[in-house]
Amino acid sequence: MHDCSAQQNKLEPENSTDNMIELQGVTRIFPNGVRALNNINLTINPGDFVFLVGPSGAGKSTFLRMLFREDTPTEGKIFVDGKDITQMPESRVPYLRRNLGIVLQDFQLLKRRTVAENVAFGLRVIGASASDISNRVQEALEQVGLSHKRRMFPTELSGGEQQRVCIARAIVNNPLILITDEPTGNLDPMISQEIMQLFLEINSRGTTIIMATHNHNLVNKLRKRVVALVDGHIIKDEQGGTYAYE
Amino acid sequence: MSLANMSFFVNEAGTNMKRSAMMAFITISTIGIALVMMGAFLLATMNLESFLQQLQAEALVTAYLKQGFAITDAKTLSLKLTSLEEIENIEVVTPEQAARELFSSPDDQQLLQIGIDRDSNPLPTTLRIRIKSGNHLEPLLQKLKNEPMIDNISYGEDLFQQFHGMSQLLWLISLIIVIMLGLASLFIVYNTVRLTLFMRREEIVIMKLVGATNWFVRGPFLVEGFIQGLVGSFLAIIVLFSAYRFMLSKLAELIPFFTANIGFEQLFKLSAKLLMMGIVLGISGSLLSLRDISKFSKSSPEGV
Repeated sequence: MHDCSAQQNKLEPENSTDNMIELQGVTRIFPNGVRALNNINLTINPGDFVFLVGPSGAGKSTFLRMLFREDTPTEGKIFVDGKDITQMPESRVPYLRRNLGIVLQDFQLLKRRTVAENVAFGLRVIGASASDISNRVQEALEQVGLSHKRRMFPTELSGGEQQRVCIARAIVNNPLILITDEPTGNLDPMISQEIMQLFLEINSRGTTIIMATHNHNLVNKLRKRVVALVDGHIIKDEQGGTYAYE
Repeated sequence: MSLANMSFFVNEAGTNMKRSAMMAFITISTIGIALVMMGAFLLATMNLESFLQQLQAEALVTAYLKQGFAITDAKTLSLKLTSLEEIENIEVVTPEQAARELFSSPDDQQLLQIGIDRDSNPLPTTLRIRIKSGNHLEPLLQKLKNEPMIDNISYGEDLFQQFHGMSQLLWLISLIIVIMLGLASLFIVYNTVRLTLFMRREEIVIMKLVGATNWFVRGPFLVEGFIQGLVGSFLAIIVLFSAYRFMLSKLAELIPFFTANIGFEQLFKLSAKLLMMGIVLGISGSLLSLRDISKFSKSSPEGV
């Protein structure tokens, strides 16, 4: 079932395409000559849940960084919600990111701010009103099950709770896409499962999720679409797939 | 800019200054000290300039005529000289007038005692010449010396020249010092903001990740720069004028005829200038540090 609020933030379409994410011949060569990505072609539909797997150094993080324009391809084009983000002027990048939720492995929470303040950060930067912020922060914290810890500081929380705060911050804007790099990398298997359950719930409301992970248990259990990257090439793209890429 | 953004910037700026109080203190005192020094030089220059202006307004060239000429001759000469471009106006003073002026003074009695009375008047006919400006003094003196009727000329030459030269030199020195102090404090402000920027790197990265524009990231820093500039210049004005008042009273004790020449309006204007300079210093220091914010705020170094 699609959550209509997830569609509110839809970017102005530039290409008449139904794909949420589309990569056309994307290659990234670093100044030191390393080819991180090699002619990647991939489409991801709205509401998809995609696992990005592969060994360390395969290009997964580069791939994800390209999606939120932290990096740009040397060749090729990337469309997000129909808009070519490789041609996007730097000044428009913040507006792209307001439609994306980003959760990284290291929790990236501000230690001197409370849980609620951390979650509110994503709303403050877009100039939301105080009452709007308060309501939406409460809603996001309820979704991740942490509304009772809203006044605590990140250092007073466990690793799993900290990651849930990051997820609350990422979803507080009702993003179209949730991009997440190793969200369970620092967590034990139990907590990892809880976090994954949270992602499934968010996905069930219509948010497209693309997740880089090394956690083969979770990938094998959930049987979602699996894209395997090795040495900058896609060697597998399988619906209901498993972790194995050799 | 929305009201919500502005209140966020002000809150952030306040919180950040509290957290890095030492940095804020360094910035405020740098701006403050620089402005006190700038202000001191400007005040000194203004005082001297004002003194010079007084001197110029008073500048009288007195030409004493030789004995034996009638008043009508003096008036003819005065008429002739009036056409000269250097002269603002001329007053012919007869010996009788000069004597009246002389005896109207409190020293009247003393002078009478030493033998000058109203019947034997030794005073010559004089021309009191007011010049248009200090630059006209030298050429006029040359012309007056060529007049056969003129016996002697007096004017406050040495003092006049000295003050004129000193004032020009002081303005030049003030300008150089103001520029140098401005640049030095700008450099210090730039570096302190740069340091706080590194301290708050994580925060900036997160702001950018959740979709903050570069101007939004800069906002709290600019508000901080503004506040620090404002506080710095405000303190500088208090210190400067307290010191100025103290010095004036000391000088008045030391030099009996000393009077302060700077009016309230001028002091007010100087305060406004210092306030502006402080704010400009604070904001431009921050702006300079934040010019490459988009490069600075990448979430991780380039890598696979």
